[in-house]
Amino acid sequence: MSAAGDLALGGTADRSARTGLGELLLAVLVFAALAALPQLIEGYVVYILPQYMLFGVMAMSLGLLWGSCGVLSFGQAGFFALGGYAIGLVMGREGLPVNPAYLGILCAALACAALAAAIGYFLFSAGVRDSYFVLVTLALSIMVEQIAVSQSEITGGWNGMFINRMSLTFPGFELQLTEDAPIYYLVLAVAALVYLGLRLLQRVRFGKILVGIRENEPRMEALGYAAPLYKTAAFALSGAIAGLAGALYATHAGFVAPSLGGVLFSTEVVVWVAVAGRQSLLAAFLGGVLVSSLSNYLSAVAPSLWQLFMGLLFIVAITVLRGGVAGFLARVVDRRSAVR
Amino acid sequence: MLASILSVVADAVLITLVLALAASGLAVIFGLIGVINLGHGAMLTLGAYLMWWMTSHGVPFVPAVLLAATGVGLVGLLLEHVLIRHFYDEPFETLLLTWGFFLVATEVIKLVFGTDFRNVPNPLPATISLAGLELPAYRSLVGLISLLVLLVLAGVLFRTGVGIKVRALVQNREVASLLGLNVGLVYKQVFVAGAFLAGLAGALISPMLSIDPYIGNVFLVRSFFAVTVGGLGQILAGTLVGSFVVGGSETIFALVSSQVFAQTVVFALAIVLLRFRPTGLIGLRR
Repeated sequence: MSAAGDLALGGTADRSARTGLGELLLAVLVFAALAALPQLIEGYVVYILPQYMLFGVMAMSLGLLWGSCGVLSFGQAGFFALGGYAIGLVMGREGLPVNPAYLGILCAALACAALAAAIGYFLFSAGVRDSYFVLVTLALSIMVEQIAVSQSEITGGWNGMFINRMSLTFPGFELQLTEDAPIYYLVLAVAALVYLGLRLLQRVRFGKILVGIRENEPRMEALGYAAPLYKTAAFALSGAIAGLAGALYATHAGFVAPSLGGVLFSTEVVVWVAVAGRQSLLAAFLGGVLVSSLSNYLSAVAPSLWQLFMGLLFIVAITVLRGGVAGFLARVVDRRSAVR
Repeated sequence: MLASILSVVADAVLITLVLALAASGLAVIFGLIGVINLGHGAMLTLGAYLMWWMTSHGVPFVPAVLLAATGVGLVGLLLEHVLIRHFYDEPFETLLLTWGFFLVATEVIKLVFGTDFRNVPNPLPATISLAGLELPAYRSLVGLISLLVLLVLAGVLFRTGVGIKVRALVQNREVASLLGLNVGLVYKQVFVAGAFLAGLAGALISPMLSIDPYIGNVFLVRSFFAVTVGGLGQILAGTLVGSFVVGGSETIFALVSSQVFAQTVVFALAIVLLRFRPTGLIGLRR
């Protein structure tokens, strides 16, 4: 892998710090543009965009796992759906002492983290190959979908589950999020915080160790790092973020259905991240937002051609671009600055 | 009582054999040359659609099955030649590429054949009576074909010159290539054979189900579990044992619970087996 070579060469540290700063600057621009959007236009775009931003957050959860740690999960949508059902179940209960939405979001994230930690530790501690991990997570998303369909007295089965819009409560006052703009800003804030949090995580020791495991797991083991524990932690965090996104999605859309956890949606996330570039969290986020917006727009115009195009782009991203659009652009920029 | 036990056993055996047929292509591609072929489901689907297209255009049943399998084999050849052969050293990339193949193939199937449910007429709608049991004739025949296919595969692998080459490649690719084996060609033959078998399975299974563009996905994960639980490279015994654990035991679990719950239990069981016996129940510890 070329990334391994880059890490080995001392002189490139300076460059990676520069591109890191460039990405942060770009991220500020992106989030500022998203923040300005409801001031410029209103209507359907402001209504629907938070859902796509939450898909972007789910894409970042995969970006953390796949980009930093080198572990691919085909089951992120399973966590997304589980998060949605978790908040639905909590908000459906009467007489909770705290804001049920807060509790629901917490339960969603914790349930997904616990599930991911259990599966992750079970497999990683035995040194199960990465490709087997893909199969297991693929099976996981099938199981989530099937359980959601079959346990219809809890989940509503095929009919899905209806969930109210949440409200924000602070000591003293309450903010209803039934209007489009307030919940838009809530989701945007969550997306930005997740992005910043994960960026920070990549900078600290934990993130460096994950990269070390991605590049050479036996060496990290030999250096005394318990790779299975770190991989488990990364998977649990990734599951928690996907569950958080799913919970917010559920309260925004007002509805969760079993297909939200299915294989097709799970692997769509993989396509977004692969096409946009798995090495960059911002690319993963933008990939989630842009591809799902485009899908929505174009599937009304030319549904099958659009899906076909995405499939072909996925193959091109793996064979030619190697690291997705972001990886390709980064190489072009590098080459230019090298020539200069 | 005895009759109902017998009928459950017969049911489990037939489901095991049908799954073993569906998994046979994967047992070849994944089990022998280690390519995680996530396009396996799309290959089954394509076989079923080719079968539907030919039978609805008046092609008799048996030639239609062979033509459908050949068609999928040719698609496999194209896929291998254009993409897969460049990535044999990178299993993870082939996993992603075969998923890309699944995405593209599914959309092409939708464009060419439409998204409606399709049905292939059952050529043997009768049932046969055996020891007091009424067995569906066609399903039983497919079960027998499945056994035959696995036996032939094992025979080819262990009794012919081609089989020796494949086993040499599986055991030690570098040494095999130093001894003059055309590694690229053997990879290609194995991949195309696997695609052919997937097409054959799709065509033979098509009269048992209504066909839709995602029909192969039902078999994708089960086939993978069948092959890994049984044991990589264990074409005959491994595929049968794995198919029983993943398919046949579901029938038995379904007796005491719902079908969906049974499948969830079986998947969980397969995951547990995958962790504790990563080389499969029949496989040797490598």
